[in-house]
Amino acid sequence: MSAPLIPVELIAPAFNPATFGQRGVVHDLFTRLRRDYPLAKAEVPGFDPHWIVTKYNDLREITRQDNLFHNADRSKTLASQIAEQMMRQYSGMPTIFKTLVHMDEPEHMDHRAVTQPLFYPQNVVKLQDDIRATARRYIAQMFDKGPEVDFAGDVAFPYPAEVVLTLLGVPKEDHGLMLDLTHWLFTYADPDLGRPGSDPTNPEEIIKTWDIVYSKFREYYLPMVAERRARPTGDVTSVIANGLINGQPMDERNMISYLVIASTAGHDTTSATTATGMWVLAERPELLKQLQENPKLIPGFVEETIRWATPVQQFVRSAVEDYTLSGQQIKKGDLLYLSYISANRDEDMFKDPFTFDPTRSPNRHIGFGYGNHNCLGQHLARLEMKILWEELLPKLASVGMNGEGKMAESEFVCGPKYVPIRYRLQ
Amino acid sequence: MSDQPLRQWQCTVCGEIYDEALGLPESGIAPGTRFEDIPDDWICISCGAVKSSYMLMEV
Repeated sequence: MSAPLIPVELIAPAFNPATFGQRGVVHDLFTRLRRDYPLAKAEVPGFDPHWIVTKYNDLREITRQDNLFHNADRSKTLASQIAEQMMRQYSGMPTIFKTLVHMDEPEHMDHRAVTQPLFYPQNVVKLQDDIRATARRYIAQMFDKGPEVDFAGDVAFPYPAEVVLTLLGVPKEDHGLMLDLTHWLFTYADPDLGRPGSDPTNPEEIIKTWDIVYSKFREYYLPMVAERRARPTGDVTSVIANGLINGQPMDERNMISYLVIASTAGHDTTSATTATGMWVLAERPELLKQLQENPKLIPGFVEETIRWATPVQQFVRSAVEDYTLSGQQIKKGDLLYLSYISANRDEDMFKDPFTFDPTRSPNRHIGFGYGNHNCLGQHLARLEMKILWEELLPKLASVGMNGEGKMAESEFVCGPKYVPIRYRLQ
Repeated sequence: MSDQPLRQWQCTVCGEIYDEALGLPESGIAPGTRFEDIPDDWICISCGAVKSSYMLMEV
């Protein structure tokens, strides 16, 4: 029996970054897929066929079995045939970067182990005083600028970036460069955030952008790595620079990619979630009151913003062997597009998934992934957001949108790029 | 019943903590359940790692 096929006119928008700039369109699309094509194939011109995985349990089943569904054999994110071919020309691999997300076992856990303990909750909590001081500073700066600000640009982008880049030992004067490179990498197709002058509709330009990002990170970090190898400090760059894999220093591409993922994914996802949180608060005054009256709800609010935002919207895996998933026959070599943004609104998993509820319990969203590749920085992300809301919310008498918010146009990591708010202080 | 103090165990894959005092009611594990008494086919509620991925946390 052949695989069910999604009509191309239905699924093609999911292969276009611009679609993801319109949340309503994205959710309508994936709600329809969950109902009518929960696990079916997409054959979009210019792309290899992909199974589109929309259901929470299917996504968990796949990502729990890294031995059967690989990360390293093909592009890890949705890529056109031309793009994947070009990446092989640039790096000899199906991807330009060799980050943790691009690795299979045992290479993946060998590399992850180098920094994993730093990000355990009991170690992350030791950073709370410094993080709180940083949060307070950004809030004070926001108040100096207000009462009308762009919460995305003024707080949500720079605050998480400063937290993680400081951990890496990147000086403040270089955080702007890091933010630009992050946006070029993840939101390459967005007209405001992408690399200036690049044409995101041209696969060659996209790969050129990613290669430029890799080169710039390499140029930035190699001297720092040499310095940290000679004179290690307590920062995360020292840990990565001196990390050994089976007794040997890391391969250069693996090491630079590790620094890239820490310098980009380490904050952009938290930025997306933080900006989403404020957008929700600005549209729902009763929610602000609820959190002010019961600050113990803040951790639940953080968890629900992660589910609501799901900043990492998709990853791709390739099947190592034939496999039966929810009655469908996945063949060896098949590509599977895992829609995390769909899974986090799965009606079979979440009651009233389109209701934002800070008291949702349990809230076992998949915003941080599942399996061995779950988000390394999740406990740091949660702590940063909890602290920011603890510091900011009691000070606000009210907050509302001061214009139309805008989402980035990105099919991979995606969040609000503009959240204009107007507030009154207590 | 053991007289040993209740302990905490940590998933080495995702950092999730199993606290014997709290149990895991959403998975049907009552407060006070010792880690060794959890079924061997239990998986981490956060990341799906197998039970043997958990290690005793030092006090």
